[in-house]
Amino acid sequence: MTTTKREKSLIVIQLSGGNDYLNTVVPYSDGKYYDSRPVVNISQDKVIPINDQLGFNPSMGPIKSLWDEGKVAVINGIGYQNPNRSHFRSMDIWHTAEPDAIGKEGWLGRAVRDLDPLGENVLTAVNFGRGLPRALGCPGVSVASVGDLETYGLFPDVQDEELRMFTLEAFSRMYGGAAGRDPVMQMLGQTGQDALQGADILRTAPVMYSSSVEYGPDTLAQNVKSISQVFHANIGAKVLYTQHGPFDTHSGELPTHAKLWNEVAGSVGCLMDDLKEHGTEDDATILIFSEFGRRIKDNASGSDHGSAGVAFLIGGAVNGGLYGEYPSLTEAEQIEGDLRSNNDFRSAYTNVLEDWLGLDAAPIVNGQFEKFDIFHS
Amino acid sequence: MISNDTALMAHLLRRAGFGASRDELEGYIAMGYKGAVDALLNPTDPGNMPDDLIRRYHVEQSELRDLPGSAAYWMYRMISTACPMEEKIALFWHGLFATGYTKLNQARTQLNQVDMFRRSGLGSFEDLLLELSRDPAMIIWLDNNENHGDSINENYGRELLELFSMGIGNYSEDDIKECARAFTGWTLGNAEYMAIRAAKDSIWPYGRIAWHFDYREDDHDDGEKTFLGETGNFNGEDIIAIIVKQESTARFLATRLFQFFAADEVSKAGENAVEAMVATYFSSGYKISDMLQTLFLSDYFKSEEARFARVKGPVEMVVGAIRMAGNYQNPSLGIEKVSDNMFFMGQGLLRPPTVEGWHEGVEWIDSGALVERVNFVAKVLSDVKSPGVRSIIDWLEAGADDGVLNPSDLADGCLDLLGPIQVSDETRSVLVDYAARLGDLDLNGHQPGDQAEQRVGNMLRLVAATREYQLA
Amino acid sequence: MSTQIKSPGIVVDYVKTIGIVNNGFNGRGFANPYDIIVHNDSRIFILNRCDPARASAIRVGICTLDEEYLGEFGKGFGTGDGQFVWAVAMALDSQDRIFITDEHSNRVTIYNTDGEYISNWGNSGSGDGELNGPAGIAVDSSGNVFVVDQHNARVQKFTAEGQFIANWGSFGNGEGQFNLPWGAAMDSDDNIYIADWRNDRIQKFTNDGKFLAAFGSTGYGDGQFQRPTGVAVDPEGFIYVADWGNERVQILSADGSFQLILRGEATISKWASEYLASNLEEKAERDISNLIPELPAHLNTPYHISSQTEPYFWGPVSVSLDREGRLYVTETNRHRFQVYQKR
Repeated sequence: MTTTKREKSLIVIQLSGGNDYLNTVVPYSDGKYYDSRPVVNISQDKVIPINDQLGFNPSMGPIKSLWDEGKVAVINGIGYQNPNRSHFRSMDIWHTAEPDAIGKEGWLGRAVRDLDPLGENVLTAVNFGRGLPRALGCPGVSVASVGDLETYGLFPDVQDEELRMFTLEAFSRMYGGAAGRDPVMQMLGQTGQDALQGADILRTAPVMYSSSVEYGPDTLAQNVKSISQVFHANIGAKVLYTQHGPFDTHSGELPTHAKLWNEVAGSVGCLMDDLKEHGTEDDATILIFSEFGRRIKDNASGSDHGSAGVAFLIGGAVNGGLYGEYPSLTEAEQIEGDLRSNNDFRSAYTNVLEDWLGLDAAPIVNGQFEKFDIFHS
Repeated sequence: MISNDTALMAHLLRRAGFGASRDELEGYIAMGYKGAVDALLNPTDPGNMPDDLIRRYHVEQSELRDLPGSAAYWMYRMISTACPMEEKIALFWHGLFATGYTKLNQARTQLNQVDMFRRSGLGSFEDLLLELSRDPAMIIWLDNNENHGDSINENYGRELLELFSMGIGNYSEDDIKECARAFTGWTLGNAEYMAIRAAKDSIWPYGRIAWHFDYREDDHDDGEKTFLGETGNFNGEDIIAIIVKQESTARFLATRLFQFFAADEVSKAGENAVEAMVATYFSSGYKISDMLQTLFLSDYFKSEEARFARVKGPVEMVVGAIRMAGNYQNPSLGIEKVSDNMFFMGQGLLRPPTVEGWHEGVEWIDSGALVERVNFVAKVLSDVKSPGVRSIIDWLEAGADDGVLNPSDLADGCLDLLGPIQVSDETRSVLVDYAARLGDLDLNGHQPGDQAEQRVGNMLRLVAATREYQLA
Repeated sequence: MSTQIKSPGIVVDYVKTIGIVNNGFNGRGFANPYDIIVHNDSRIFILNRCDPARASAIRVGICTLDEEYLGEFGKGFGTGDGQFVWAVAMALDSQDRIFITDEHSNRVTIYNTDGEYISNWGNSGSGDGELNGPAGIAVDSSGNVFVVDQHNARVQKFTAEGQFIANWGSFGNGEGQFNLPWGAAMDSDDNIYIADWRNDRIQKFTNDGKFLAAFGSTGYGDGQFQRPTGVAVDPEGFIYVADWGNERVQILSADGSFQLILRGEATISKWASEYLASNLEEKAERDISNLIPELPAHLNTPYHISSQTEPYFWGPVSVSLDREGRLYVTETNRHRFQVYQKR
């Protein structure tokens, strides 16, 4: 383990499908909640209270422990004006920080461009899972999408070690060709070399890693473990991204939602333990978000697409507590049967970009947004 | 081994199709170059994987409710069609008249649009724009269902002029308004219900309900309009008739067709081809296939300069490799995981990121995408069990001296049969050295999956991994 | 449009629609249902084939005619015991055993009606007793199990434990030949009917495989079929055909003469109305919409028409009967079934 000053990293866990806010941070003392949710509710005796009005879903034990340590910021009622209830569109909005037009660049892609303007480190952002989220998409920004960290790289299907080695050598020679070629071939050559080098570096992360923490067997836990390995390998990965789901609980919500949060809370708990063990708790912050919350009324089996939701920022550098306002369930305050948001998600982004990553937020999120007081100074 | 006829035909097939196996190439060569161009531009029976089989085994492709199955459905068509130009032109229009799942939440309706591109995509541009304006997916995508006689919504009117025909600078803001007025009332059946379902991604209660065009006469502004200097009580078709007469439309179309079918960049020599296409546009009555015939028969297109002048898009990478390997010709479990690879490489079918479509050319390449691209084609083309690779092994054996290939022959043979692909001397020497590691290859008496065959697979893997293979 | 001959020998009345799409992993609703069996105690069992994204939720759902969802069972996607890859059809025997075919794993899996896994049998191949794409399945009054072996173009007869008894058939369009056959049903005389899918006909055989009759030809007219997938026969001998490619159900008399066609006329089910009650703005637009619209000329195939006309059958893969003269039509693309009552 090196003793160089660690740079701060952002770890993003995207909850895909629209996480049910009302059953995540439960207004258990509000009768209107039980009136609206006759079937799909968390009963008062099961909720994990965090104060007299609100409580966590019973599957969120590890998050409650972190809450008690003052490391969990809960951003209530997060969203944007003119809520969109379509998965793809709303997720695009969160990814591009552009609710009113179709955005072209991802907010984190832009952040990476600002963090590494000359593109010197192709591992500045790493995505865990196949398929790059639009949040990380930005022209000129390279992001590795890692399915399996231990085998990541070129020709993973070649089982024979020796054959793979010869093939990689040949690839390296082919892409290392002379200068003076046409620009496309040059660009390909450089890109290929970057890819090789990036993969080589990434694959050392699990080898260098050691920890007593045991992550769960589920996909999220394994991705979060990979995130920890890459983070602790100190290779300059400042944005580490992964997704979990499906949170789109239109039917049979209670058992599915419970299982998913079991996995999220379990993974986050393990990760924070891991950071503690390595002494890096203050060097990473976890952002958990979803593209929208769900409706106030249930549909007798689950809940449908809604509007305002909840986001979490978790880490040693976070001022734990409640931010934003818990939206009212009274009919007058609703927006088309949904919870009305009271803070724009770009405020939270601004916090992360400015106070955590040290960047100028306004050009990235297309505007000035009021910040919370989330990070220790 | 590489004749110019073969190289030229391979070049044509990479552009008007997704590349071709040696057997396919021989078939086209027998028609002669012009014969091949004409055959490609006049598709007849695609003979693709039949719908009844697809729907029997793939419930998600019977329903076409969600993206993965729907992208796979189109991919089946692309990999099994005998008329690749039909699919290439549909892909071209899909990228140009980009309509995305993200807002529609209606894959079937998009596939109906793709089908319209097959039917009308090689015909008259005027007919195509008319079909496009009546296409329900396009109507919702650009909000024309919100374009009412008493309160216009300019979105479609604007993009029709800016992105789908003349291009910025060739019309005024007033022209946009008049254009939008002309398209009021052009909506879809049950528009309000369909729009709210799209906005919420509603599949309840009984799955999706597909869309169809509906004209609401009472919502149409039939007043007098002045558009590009002409005046009349124009309806949408009248506006289109004026649009297609414009030089700027011809130039826009010729340039975009050139960039998709000829080269990413228009060089000086390429400009001549574009000019010729503009002339053909007018002389043929706006016919796309005629413009493409002009392009494919041009000196520019047949010249060395045009060879490998495009970066393959992800769809071409995936479909090209699968067609070459000849697998997935029957309904296959897990096919949507295969079509997902196009998305991982940055081009998800049916989900262009914005109305501008995809940024093509070198923008397809970054280190993350390159890993996906190389890994996929390397894996597919090294599989000696697949019919296309077995066919390559047979061709190699047939062309070898007494069934034995020295390292140069193996490298050159694979380069030839996967293309022919032109590579630099440096690339070629790496391939030859790689083959030379194990000396001469004796293919006599080779058995399925044995060491000899694996050596061919390994060479094909390396050829597929070259920089040059990334280019079309 | 539902049509019939002037004086059909049979009348069926539409009763109700049961179902709602379920794109999750549990709870009420269906996910691409492929077959239904109705128990004598009137519980309805629905086989959910499931799309790949939700394959881990492959299961059999259970409900009542009153639309109460009783539960579900299954062990998800895979080749382990009790799991399925491409589940096709179910048959029930007199010992409360449900036999379910899997055309990818080439085997028959047995659960009991309490949802407990019992066993499975079947090996891939073309020899006697081996299977290649088992699709339809039916049980006769002696408890013999008949499996439609689609890629081997034959029907095979087994004991309930999977011991081979007999088989017949070969590829072709002659009598006793098949082309990718699908559904199967017994009549009260223990004759067996096979939906000979790509030959666009129904064939009838004795219990020992002797050819008795063939009904239907390719087409859209009365008594013609396009890729019939399922068949059922009632105690009076009326033959119900799931005419999948034509998006309809046809009823023939015992001698094969055409009686009537059903096109489907789905209404809002209980679960559908629960959804709409929590989504009122959507309901409001739906209520003023015309769900049987006139369509442009190029959308004129039954498949396209059904994709846009919600009440019509869409993907009617199987037809099932109960003891009270009710017909159940399973619609895979609409995640529901429609119930008719024979008068």
